[in-house]
Amino acid sequence: MPPSEHVHWLFATGFLTLGLFLLAEAVVGRDVWKVRAWRTYLWPSTMFMLGLGMWPVMVFFTSSTLHMIAHGAWAEVMMFAGAAELGLATGKLQSGLWRLAIVLAFVVSGVGFLAHEQNPWFFQRSSFLHHLLGWTFLGAAIFPLGRAVRPRSTVFASGFALAFVAVAVMLYTDRDVAPVFGHLSPLAGPPRR
Amino acid sequence: MRRVALVVGFAAALAFPTTAWPHASLEYQTPDFRQRLEVAPRQILLRFDQGVKALPDSIQVYTRDGTLVSRAARTAQDARKMLVAVPRLPRGAYTVRWHALSSDGHVVSGVYTFGVRVAAPPPTEAYGASGPTRSEHIVRWLYFAALALLIGGIGFRLVVLPRVVPPALERRFFKVAGIGAVAVIQVGIVAFILRAEDALQLPFGRLLYGNLAPVAEGTRFGKAFIAMTLGFTWVAALLFLAWLTDRRVLLWPALVLSLTLASGLSLSGHSAADRGSSWLSQLADWLHLSAAVLWVGGLVQLAACVWPLAPELRRDVFLRFARLAPALIAVLVSAGVYLSILRLPRLSDLWSAGYGQVLLVKLALVSAALAWGAFHHFIVRPRLDRTSWTRKSLVGESAIAMSILLLAAILVDSKPPPQPQSQRAVIAKPKLAPPSVSPPGASSSARSP
Repeated sequence: MPPSEHVHWLFATGFLTLGLFLLAEAVVGRDVWKVRAWRTYLWPSTMFMLGLGMWPVMVFFTSSTLHMIAHGAWAEVMMFAGAAELGLATGKLQSGLWRLAIVLAFVVSGVGFLAHEQNPWFFQRSSFLHHLLGWTFLGAAIFPLGRAVRPRSTVFASGFALAFVAVAVMLYTDRDVAPVFGHLSPLAGPPRR
Repeated sequence: MRRVALVVGFAAALAFPTTAWPHASLEYQTPDFRQRLEVAPRQILLRFDQGVKALPDSIQVYTRDGTLVSRAARTAQDARKMLVAVPRLPRGAYTVRWHALSSDGHVVSGVYTFGVRVAAPPPTEAYGASGPTRSEHIVRWLYFAALALLIGGIGFRLVVLPRVVPPALERRFFKVAGIGAVAVIQVGIVAFILRAEDALQLPFGRLLYGNLAPVAEGTRFGKAFIAMTLGFTWVAALLFLAWLTDRRVLLWPALVLSLTLASGLSLSGHSAADRGSSWLSQLADWLHLSAAVLWVGGLVQLAACVWPLAPELRRDVFLRFARLAPALIAVLVSAGVYLSILRLPRLSDLWSAGYGQVLLVKLALVSAALAWGAFHHFIVRPRLDRTSWTRKSLVGESAIAMSILLLAAILVDSKPPPQPQSQRAVIAKPKLAPPSVSPPGASSSARSP
């Protein structure tokens, strides 16, 4: 099995790609972005594929039940949100309420991060990141919510995109056992590098 | 106000996890999970990624009959290591149950097995595991029902329904099959956790931090869980894409993949692990399951989708399904009879063994379902345009079929009666080299204290 941080970096790349697609859409505006029809499917399909890619993490990293459940929940909400957005993009789904699927994904992801990290903020780097990621997802849920209500708002669109970029940066900085702000709990064992 | 307080309280609980909640993860252990040792170990050593504190009973080593052979556990000089001394262990299988205490009193736990000059049993058959419970029967039944909705639904759409159907019927089909796909994944996860809970023998709070790796990696059930979970997520994706793009052709790979994945149950159940099992018993088991889910799923689609939403298609679809159903039932019954003979070598087992009694009830229900099917075939079919109660009758047949799946779930979780001595010797001989090694999952003695 690869170290968990490598898996986190892999997903960071996925989230960065996703965030950049959304940022590009926010910068040029929705109308310009939609000139090429395939662009509409870019971020939802990336989200769907990221959800699909999370399942191997769930079944191969079974060091604790909670860890398994959290990764399963992320896989499901990412697939669900990606599927809902794809359905809206193709016109298969009509109700705007489906836009709330991504809000649900943010909330579930945030709670998942906070619930599955049982160490305090400064225990080690990964603990700090889990707390930060959890609260980022919960706080940033306001952006997809605003985007569902006001689809043409640049603020909500940019915030939504930047949330993914921020999550990607946080995931890139993940290292399993490394000091954070010069502090490492003695219970965490020696730093690995 | 109360709601606000609840929300604030919840947020605060998430923001401030108690000041120290470190919990350790097991990094390695000697002996290893399910390791077969030629020389008895003098100690059991567990190494964690963080420091732990050992209590005297933190590592307990049991023989197959439940005798505790380990002494008091202690933390090693390296606080991340915990060990326990054991006397010279005689040949046999052993269960290690461990729990490590972090400085805040938070406990992580696990179980695994090893063997001294014998193969170790899977952790699901470790000493202390009680075997499948009623909850597991229900969960397995739900799993079968979900498989029927998914596989039977897709098969029905591809083989029985015409290429183009009314949009409402198409939507309903995707809803039913989609529910099946989601349920297969969810129920599979619940089934895995329940099995692990039984092996670990932990209350729910501690189960959350239980190490499931020995169950996932060291048992046929765990490997089937991994393959089936991953595979069915792809089936769900294919089903979704078929709906999204209106490409019916994508349902074919979904059907083939899901039928292939269903073999995971046959490759990890009685037909693969019990004495007397062979490729033929596994094939029969897979055919039995596949025919059953295709038949039941087809009935559900007929009653829940075609009848209420496409009156113009009722006659054609009913006749097509009536042509397919006898073939499915023939496969179902032939494979079932073969498996029954294999698992119940004596006729008297039918009424004297628990497994046989459940099978007897199942056979009675199968007979009722067959009679119901014959009634549809010979009585309803010629009068299809004149009867108004056909849907209710189809619902009734579906309900009986679902109850057969429940009994099948109980049978899968039950242990068939032992083979007669002479037959067992003949069957076991080629497998036992050296003679003391039992195939994984063959022995039930390790299960009961």
